[in-house]
Amino acid sequence: MDDLDPSELMRMLAAVVDTDRVRFPDAREASAARLIVEPASPQEIIEVVRKCESDGFTLAPMGAARTLVQIRRQPAAVCVSLARMDRVVDYEPDDMTVIAEAGLTLGALNACTAAHGQRLPCDPANPELTTLGALVGAAKSGPLRLSEGGVRDLLIGIRFVGHGGRLIHGGGRVVKNVAGYDLMKVMTGAFGTLGVITETIFKVRPLPENYSLAITSFDTAADALEAARRAEEAASLIHLEVLSPLLGHKFARPGRSVVLAGFGGSRTEANYYRAHVSNALRRNTQMLTGGDAIAHYQWLRDLDFAGPAMVAQLAVLPAELPGCLEACGAEFRAHAASGVAQIFLAMNHDNKEICDAVGRWREIAHKAHGHLRVLEARSDVRASLEMFDQPPEPATRLMRRLKAAFDPKNIFNPGGFIAGI
Amino acid sequence: MIAELREIAGTDGVTSRPTELKVYECDGWTIEKSAPDLLVRPRTTAEVSAILGLLFRRKLAFVPRGAGTGLSGGCLPINAPVMICTSRMNRVLAIDLENRRIDVESGVVNLHVTNAVKAQGYFYAPDPSSQVACTIGGNIAENSGGPHTLKYGVTTNHVLGLELVLPDGEVTELGGPVEERCGYDLVGAVVGAEGTTGIVTRATLRLMREPEAHRTLLAVFDDVDGATRAVSVIIAAGIIPGAIEMMDQMIISAVEAAFHVGLPQDAGAVLIIEVDGISAAMDEQGRRLSELVLGAGARTVRLARDENERAALWKARKRAFGAIGRLAPNYATQDGVVPRTRLPDILREISAVSRRYQLRIGNVFHAGDGNIHPIVLYDERDSSEVRRAIEAGRDILKACVEMGGSLTGEHGIGVEKMAEMPLIFSPDDLMVMAELRRVFDPDERSNPNKVIPTPGACVEVATPRRQAPL
Repeated sequence: MDDLDPSELMRMLAAVVDTDRVRFPDAREASAARLIVEPASPQEIIEVVRKCESDGFTLAPMGAARTLVQIRRQPAAVCVSLARMDRVVDYEPDDMTVIAEAGLTLGALNACTAAHGQRLPCDPANPELTTLGALVGAAKSGPLRLSEGGVRDLLIGIRFVGHGGRLIHGGGRVVKNVAGYDLMKVMTGAFGTLGVITETIFKVRPLPENYSLAITSFDTAADALEAARRAEEAASLIHLEVLSPLLGHKFARPGRSVVLAGFGGSRTEANYYRAHVSNALRRNTQMLTGGDAIAHYQWLRDLDFAGPAMVAQLAVLPAELPGCLEACGAEFRAHAASGVAQIFLAMNHDNKEICDAVGRWREIAHKAHGHLRVLEARSDVRASLEMFDQPPEPATRLMRRLKAAFDPKNIFNPGGFIAGI
Repeated sequence: MIAELREIAGTDGVTSRPTELKVYECDGWTIEKSAPDLLVRPRTTAEVSAILGLLFRRKLAFVPRGAGTGLSGGCLPINAPVMICTSRMNRVLAIDLENRRIDVESGVVNLHVTNAVKAQGYFYAPDPSSQVACTIGGNIAENSGGPHTLKYGVTTNHVLGLELVLPDGEVTELGGPVEERCGYDLVGAVVGAEGTTGIVTRATLRLMREPEAHRTLLAVFDDVDGATRAVSVIIAAGIIPGAIEMMDQMIISAVEAAFHVGLPQDAGAVLIIEVDGISAAMDEQGRRLSELVLGAGARTVRLARDENERAALWKARKRAFGAIGRLAPNYATQDGVVPRTRLPDILREISAVSRRYQLRIGNVFHAGDGNIHPIVLYDERDSSEVRRAIEAGRDILKACVEMGGSLTGEHGIGVEKMAEMPLIFSPDDLMVMAELRRVFDPDERSNPNKVIPTPGACVEVATPRRQAPL
């Protein structure tokens, strides 16, 4: 049914939701979806899911689809955009918990919590473009993962529309809770393949006091990574990023690799860490504080890879990261102490070079007990790339069973995840 | 069958004598008892796999068990003839300090993980009060917490990879030593699944660096309301201490009578607050906390001057339950959770329940997390008191749920709280959870009749909730 004419598709969906909820995709969305539905309530999502199941249309949550714009080979028939479901449902600063609809952006959520000195400490690039649904669905992260953990560590409750149009919830609004199976974990990083997330409940954390940023540049990436290792030993850091020269130019002279170490705390703590970080980096370290530090942190978070042909994420044991990055021999941005890095090729590489690079990098990752995932690839090369790494076979079989149990009609974002799921 | 099992696990690895099996008839939840027909204690993953393969062919159900310190009847056999105990799988397999990882077999005792790396300045963060006995496998099943949950998180935040033997005997690797996951987060699904997904035989855990220093404070309040308000004041100031624990007047008196640690007998409530971090900042942090709690209405604040005083305060807290025996012949406790800001409300409700049922109820709990442990005192020889104690417990749990909370913060559903699951989950929620479980265990043979209530499987709680140290 996916090859149905979009106007016909629109007519069929208008039977279950108001016509003003359905629209054609814009140019950017077109590689993800043939039609966009913007429901205003879980009930409307339920109707859409039931319709897609009964008529056999594929359906992807928009948040995940926006991520998948960069990797999907063909558009799904219908994308659910949660743009109309963007409310903060309940925020209790003294409980440090917030309930919000999945269409709210991370940026909007953090603007709300900032008034109380708190934040949801997940920091993928461009938080004002990242919905909470996408944050969870694609398990996005940024520099803060070092000190605050990942989305999986902060998500304490979830609501989603699953197969049969069932509205399911797991967890709750308390920070400690072991009642029932952990559906939050199952939905995190599932790329919209198990259902449409409608509401999320997060723990939030205090904004750090006296946030400071140490910036030092080095002749080689290896020197920068080694200095980063010393800094991590010396202080309790909020984040620790290492940039290869192409990305580092915003923070240092051209051609240099850069270490950016963030820290904070009470004045005594900040002073202590400042001394220890400077000592560990052993160079003329530039120390930023206040608004300056925050502005530079935001540049760091939102780093632009300048229209790359392909970006991949390498995840290995932290101690193996320098060796792996050297072996890969590409430009990178590393969450150094977490063992995670994004590596990329510029636009001028041809398809064969891109495929070869992915194959070679994946081999390097596997040797270091890790894996490699393609985050973004030029559309003409996608057909010949395996975007996701494959878990070992028994685990893959469990994952296929999970998909079959949660999505028996195989409508939720099919073909966009691991192992053909 | 016994012969086949002996062939796999050795003669000393299989127990069938009823007198010996009596030891395994319950965990820390002693109200319901049921011994297995057979106990098997494998030594290796291969043995576990062979045992489960055999049980699969015979269509027999089994119960995994660690040290049996659980508090909700999680390893109580219900229509499961074979118990598989991991206690002999107790080796630390690999320590990787450079990457802060440790590989252990699932029968390793929680505290032994920290002991293995303590000298090098590292620790394993989840620290349930039973940590001298409980196993990592049991912690994984229950997603165990501990006093330091507030700052460091619970078990699920510290498990990176698992080796899981599926109920048909197949060995699977889930997750791994690296931070990013590949495919669905099945490790996250197995942690806290209460042993219903198979048997975890090995785990890769995250290690943390031991903080340089601690400061421990005792804040004394005239009443419980003041103490719970102070919790909110600390949090509102943007401070996340390592732990914030509360004891009310009844518990203070019992603890003081038993251990003489110098708690003020006339206090309405005390908070034990601990912060950790670099030595240079500890005095400042201690001062700041003192000012905050005094500002919030504390009568006095005492700072532990040295490691001995700190140890004495923690001894008072951790042994509180041991002191309850002085107050009544029996007691029963619960594990409800409320949003932190509702602590004053739930404690008022507990007082009202105490008056309504004419039962004394004490409180000692993890205040920073909103995780309450009301202790209902009763005498099991008085059938009316027994009945009232059960009803009081249910009323308190219902109140927690009505305040936006949960049935259990760290003890698990087990058999104990299955009947209350519909208070927080819809039939559809429970159905999806059952579907998730069957991904791992299609015939529901791994720890059957747990967590999700099904008709006929519910245990009717006829006596009050368990007595146990927490």
